[in-house]
Amino acid sequence: MKLPNSNEHFEDELRRALRPVDAPEDFTERLMRALPADAKPVLISSNIAPRARARQFGIPAALAASLLVAVMLGKHVAVEREQIAEQQGREASLKLMQALRVTSQKLDIAYQAVQSPPPAAAEENRS
Amino acid sequence: MNLQATNPVPDSLLLQARAGNRQAFAALVRQHQGSVFSIGLRMLSRRDAAEDLAQDVFLQLYRKLDSIESLEHLGFWLRRVAANLAIDWLRRLPYSATQPLEEGAEVAVHDPDSDPLMSRELTRLLGELAPHPRAVMLLRYQEDQDVAEIAAALDMPVNTVKSHIKRSLTALRGRMIGAKLIDCEELT
Repeated sequence: MKLPNSNEHFEDELRRALRPVDAPEDFTERLMRALPADAKPVLISSNIAPRARARQFGIPAALAASLLVAVMLGKHVAVEREQIAEQQGREASLKLMQALRVTSQKLDIAYQAVQSPPPAAAEENRS
Repeated sequence: MNLQATNPVPDSLLLQARAGNRQAFAALVRQHQGSVFSIGLRMLSRRDAAEDLAQDVFLQLYRKLDSIESLEHLGFWLRRVAANLAIDWLRRLPYSATQPLEEGAEVAVHDPDSDPLMSRELTRLLGELAPHPRAVMLLRYQEDQDVAEIAAALDMPVNTVKSHIKRSLTALRGRMIGAKLIDCEELT
């Protein structure tokens, strides 16, 4: 037995020693007999693969899309409601300002009436 | 169905096997059984255990054919499952971890360039390595995989694979030198 004198030769010798060997002759036959008779490995046809994949990923994708739509719709409704509330607030503010203005005018009139007595009464007092 | 008559190209063989064609699956098994059986034999050092392991690997393959994307992927998958299953069996049956190749389990190497004595000795010494480095060495020198492929197959870092190869080569070479010295002393 000659020992290889370099690592490269040693590795070559290892490759030769470790070449794959043949399995027993009847291995495949015994294996095929051990396979479950009724179970098919997977799909009937390779054409079905995309459909199966669609089924596999279709439902989660649809759920995700529905969730996204719901979130977007909710956000839209919330924005709309906020805008309506703002509009209503502005309108209420305007009405309040108008009411205050009217009230102020009425108070001015009343004040003027109190401060300046009617002219007939003034002449009676003079006589 | 006669596979010889239809002479399917390899990719169509995989497609046929995936579609439930048992003959196509059998043809795939024949193509890869030597590799899987050899991993089992050199990992477990017993022919019966190697056959059981190979059968287990191909039964797993039959159930998971839908996940196999190509013939290249098939080869990788088989090596990965065979090596990891063998390591797992060695963990459960520690008695076989250090057992040399059983009597009769050796396989003659019909290569005019190779030294049959050295081949036998190397195979025997390889069986003395720990399970992980043994699997690394088999994937490297039996299956001719590069370190990245071995790392992926055995779920270990590339540097660990390199380290296993370096240490195992050193150990094997050292033991071979030792064995040669013993032979010399015996002669004198």
